[in-house]
Amino acid sequence: MSEQAPPGYAGKILRVNLTTGQSWTEELSHEEWRTYLGGVGLGAKILYDEVPPEVEWDHPDNRLIMATGPLAGLPVWGTGGLTVVTRGPMTGGATSTQANGFFGACLKYSGYDTIVLQGQSEKWVYVYIHDNVVEMRDAAHLLGKDTWETQEALQDELGYNGHRLSVYTSGVAGENLVRFAAIHGDFGHVASKNGCGAVMGVKRVKAVAIVRGSKALHPHDPKGLLQAADVIAHELKTNPSSSVLYNYGTLFGVVNLNKLGALPIRNYTTNLPPKEADMSVWEAQSLREGFDHRGHQCNACGMHHCHQHVIAEGKHKGEIVDEPEYEGWSGAGWTIGSFDPQDTSWMNTQVDRACVDVNEFGWVMGWTMECYEKGYITQEQLGGIDLKWGDVEAANALLQKIVHREGIGDLLAEGVMRASQKLGGEAADCAVYSHKGNSPRGHDHRARWEELLDTCVASAGTLETGPPAEPQELGRPARINPFDAPEVARNVGQLLGRRHFEDSLGACIFTTRTTIQNICLALNAATGWDYTVDEAMRLGRRTAALLRAFNIRCGIGPEVEKPSKRYGSVPTDGPAEGQNAMEHWEEMLDIYYELAGLDRATGKPTAEHLNNLGLENVAKEMWG
Amino acid sequence: MKVLSISPERCTGCMRCELACAYMQSGAYQPAKSVIRVAPLEMHTSYAPFTCFQCDEGWCMTACPVDAIAISAVGAKIVSDDQCVGCKLCTIACPYGTIFYDEDTHKATKCDLCGGDPACVEACPTQAIEWVEGDAADWLGEFAARRAGTDLTGLAAVE
Amino acid sequence: MAGKRHVILGSGTAGLNAIRTLRQLGDDGPIVLVSAEAPYSRMVLPYYLARRITEPHVTTATGRQLDEWGVERQIGRRAEGLDTQAAKLRLDNGEDVAYDDLLIATGSSALRPPIPGAEHARCFNFWTLDDAKGVSKTISPDAHVVMVGAGFISFTILNGILERAGRLTIVEVAPRILPRMIDDAGAALVTDWLIERGVTIRAGAEITRIAEQGQGLRLTFAEGDSIDADLVLMATGIRPNLGWLDGSGIETNQGILVDEYLRSNVDNVYAAGDVAEGRNRVTGAREVHAIEPTAMEHGRIAAANMAGKKIAYPGSLLMNIVSAAGLDMASFGSWDDDGAEVIAAQAPARRAYRKYLFRGGRMVGAILIESAGETWSGNDVGMLKGLVQSGVDLSAWKSHLAERPFEIKKPYLATGTTARLLPETIIGQPSPAM
Repeated sequence: MSEQAPPGYAGKILRVNLTTGQSWTEELSHEEWRTYLGGVGLGAKILYDEVPPEVEWDHPDNRLIMATGPLAGLPVWGTGGLTVVTRGPMTGGATSTQANGFFGACLKYSGYDTIVLQGQSEKWVYVYIHDNVVEMRDAAHLLGKDTWETQEALQDELGYNGHRLSVYTSGVAGENLVRFAAIHGDFGHVASKNGCGAVMGVKRVKAVAIVRGSKALHPHDPKGLLQAADVIAHELKTNPSSSVLYNYGTLFGVVNLNKLGALPIRNYTTNLPPKEADMSVWEAQSLREGFDHRGHQCNACGMHHCHQHVIAEGKHKGEIVDEPEYEGWSGAGWTIGSFDPQDTSWMNTQVDRACVDVNEFGWVMGWTMECYEKGYITQEQLGGIDLKWGDVEAANALLQKIVHREGIGDLLAEGVMRASQKLGGEAADCAVYSHKGNSPRGHDHRARWEELLDTCVASAGTLETGPPAEPQELGRPARINPFDAPEVARNVGQLLGRRHFEDSLGACIFTTRTTIQNICLALNAATGWDYTVDEAMRLGRRTAALLRAFNIRCGIGPEVEKPSKRYGSVPTDGPAEGQNAMEHWEEMLDIYYELAGLDRATGKPTAEHLNNLGLENVAKEMWG
Repeated sequence: MKVLSISPERCTGCMRCELACAYMQSGAYQPAKSVIRVAPLEMHTSYAPFTCFQCDEGWCMTACPVDAIAISAVGAKIVSDDQCVGCKLCTIACPYGTIFYDEDTHKATKCDLCGGDPACVEACPTQAIEWVEGDAADWLGEFAARRAGTDLTGLAAVE
Repeated sequence: MAGKRHVILGSGTAGLNAIRTLRQLGDDGPIVLVSAEAPYSRMVLPYYLARRITEPHVTTATGRQLDEWGVERQIGRRAEGLDTQAAKLRLDNGEDVAYDDLLIATGSSALRPPIPGAEHARCFNFWTLDDAKGVSKTISPDAHVVMVGAGFISFTILNGILERAGRLTIVEVAPRILPRMIDDAGAALVTDWLIERGVTIRAGAEITRIAEQGQGLRLTFAEGDSIDADLVLMATGIRPNLGWLDGSGIETNQGILVDEYLRSNVDNVYAAGDVAEGRNRVTGAREVHAIEPTAMEHGRIAAANMAGKKIAYPGSLLMNIVSAAGLDMASFGSWDDDGAEVIAAQAPARRAYRKYLFRGGRMVGAILIESAGETWSGNDVGMLKGLVQSGVDLSAWKSHLAERPFEIKKPYLATGTTARLLPETIIGQPSPAM
């Protein structure tokens, strides 16, 4: 542990230069750690400082920052956190995307808080980290292996199983620079947004493998930390807004969102489940108990969230797969017309194994299926695949073409925005995307305007404010009318930053669904600081401003802050039938910009906003 | 006598017990110091914790050439750091693999039941580890036999 | 009624464990301890040499302890003869000691190779406390130490030498180091490891002469070349202390032949430890296992039977562990069984080696080599012992082990090894505190 490390931290940033094969560590002062914390807070700072606009996403000098934070590796629930920050290919701008599992814990036990991968290796390598040993090892034998195979191969080769080794890899999708390639690890955890896996591929890094190291973490007040963990755990168990997550993770999503018209069915073509879909099997409890399941939690987590389960019937009976998150049930299921949990669950793991973002997979596959049905894309173009709605075997066949960039897969590997624009015609109108390139999450945002707006305006490569947790603490009502445009925009604008604070801690946002005040109890016990809600939000807002400034510098402005035609269309059936978000679009932008401290004309953070956040250097660069 | 009873079906592999144990052993969150070890028993899943049974023979204790291992008031075989010379004989005598050598301290290290208030029990969020009256038993054998079958038969070959 | 009069010959691990066990089992008969040396642990002498511990820490039973046990002592005495008819032991001072039953635990002695000059004062064995004191006194920070014999004993003191001397050369007559503890592949790995850490190793080399050279010694090889040393350590083998039994009628082979109750061919004469040739748990054959755990188990079983408990011994399991310059190496059972089916693997990135030997479904032997700092292999050492000891059927798991040789825990647990082991105790009851 570094002499200078604040309590709870490992205290080191590990730099790996793939061009030269060198690695070294850097240390920050206590004050710097406090200012940037870790995760996206630190990542945004490094990205802004080190990646100038001419360094595009596929330039060797792009940074792939794999960061954890002060709570990682400590006995607070869900503290294996990984935040990936990079300039990504979907938006061409900044990325903040998270996975959990054990990455952050293993990294800190090996003595590092953050890894910065820079440069580009000549040969394919995997980065091996075990305490002071950091090596770039030949990965030729891992090429062509999917994410699970890569993890298994490295476990076998290194002789470590289970959580003794945390491997994050971009699978085959990353090798072939699929634009929505993800970074997957710990058998079921994915940092999936903005094509971060493709950046890993550009660097010719097949995987990062970290041994559960032997170093010690010394929080400032260990007893206080346990008490804080207990306070948060009790909240998560008993607070009605989080207790469903505690019990079933995101499994309740399908049924609940369907009631709101926010379940995306067959690529936004309807919001009514077909008659053949038995909604009772989609209840959270049925999804859990309908499978022989095993708890598969992240570091130190007591949630009943992440699981693995066994396919119960059909062609893949007996296979162990990752129990899908809501996003998986949606992207690998409802969006592509699969209404069978067994099929969908299997498909979801194929997506993880292939290593692409499951949301974008849904939009790409759903779009292709719709185009196939409508005759815009032919079976011949699909290389003979009969791509019917809900046929997961066919979808998997096409997925394999995508990750290998074979035939039409090469086009689809660019994501649905670029593929649909290239194909043009009526097909172009069917694609679900935001013009900025942020893939929408797996909901029908036409019935969830907060996320529609958030997705379109966010600078993180995905939505940035996220669904509100404890909004009252930040002066927003507990609930709003989801179709009240000004209120929607106020939520997205005013709550902006909270998510970045959570994503700077090395913890999971499901286990930080409590008040910021409670989170600060844990943070302060770990570090000995006196973080407050204000300081937490200041960190979050500063991070948001940095990401925004980075994107502006990359030429990503307000002109792309809108949904695609289909994404912004009006639902024609279901509970949200007739709700027209685009009628209120400019009004929502006005309010959001105001509350987010952005200049309405240019999209830049205002000089005043930047100066208030202590980002005088950025203000100078933005405004002269 | 109370024993650590393990219910592997409840374990989710969160490794919280390793953290708690490490803290008791070394005063830091440093799982390398944990003497309870969690491992998967079915491919990469079906985790379960494993630690000393405080067995009747006390293979570590009887093997120790300098009588460095004693029995505590709560029935734990405990290592006296002052006595232990770090010869590792106990680590090959124990047929369960539950006594370790600490490279930093040059001492043997094992479960001491935290003096009667085992931290792993408190730490486990799913009650997979309990502290109950009874006798030590093969807590994991049946579970491992059932789950580890997948490793032997391979995927999709369970039928 | 007072119990039998027990005479314990030897105060090493076997003898002392016998005394303790007699008392633990409530035997209140008189005990006479006859021993050439005061009780100490040979196992910990390397830590004395390395100055981790001092002389009192080497002692295994103080006078106070022996008094508490009510042990009558003849320390500094050797046995010179045995009259089993008269049930009397003849000591080297001419005195006779009568017994109702006798435990022979005279251990073994280090051999000196028949090399001219090997008796020089700067040539040492490392076997007794006196040896250890001699080496400790003579060694110096700039000394070049030459170890003749690259076996277990040499390796136990390797760390101490590296800490206290300037330079170390290991000479072994066999083609490789550790010929009786690990296999060729393992030895190659250990050799590389030690060479990287500055140790010179010369295997397949025979020393023909040792002569004074200035302040030190010159060792001449059969090939004709030579090396100079400040200090020579001889560890070329040991021999059970049996000679004094000639003509006693006690049946011996390599050691005193004992049955499953550790009894010799004479009913009230038992033998234990390095001097006894008892059952090998894995093969069933009778062998001398001159290792600490066998001495302990022999001593306790013999004592239980001397106390009238009739406890049968399933046999001793050969096992060794030694850590040299940060590398652990352990072997169990029939690790050198040429007729066994073998699964062997290395994890080069970790400098780790595993070898499993099977007869049918049973693991009969195993070798493990691993960096001592490798935390996560911690369970493996003991589990391998458990697999060999319990003899569980691993037939279904061999292919798994071939594929994933570092994944021992799954087969260990899935075969119910724990259930097999938990009821086992050495003397048929839970061990009391030591």
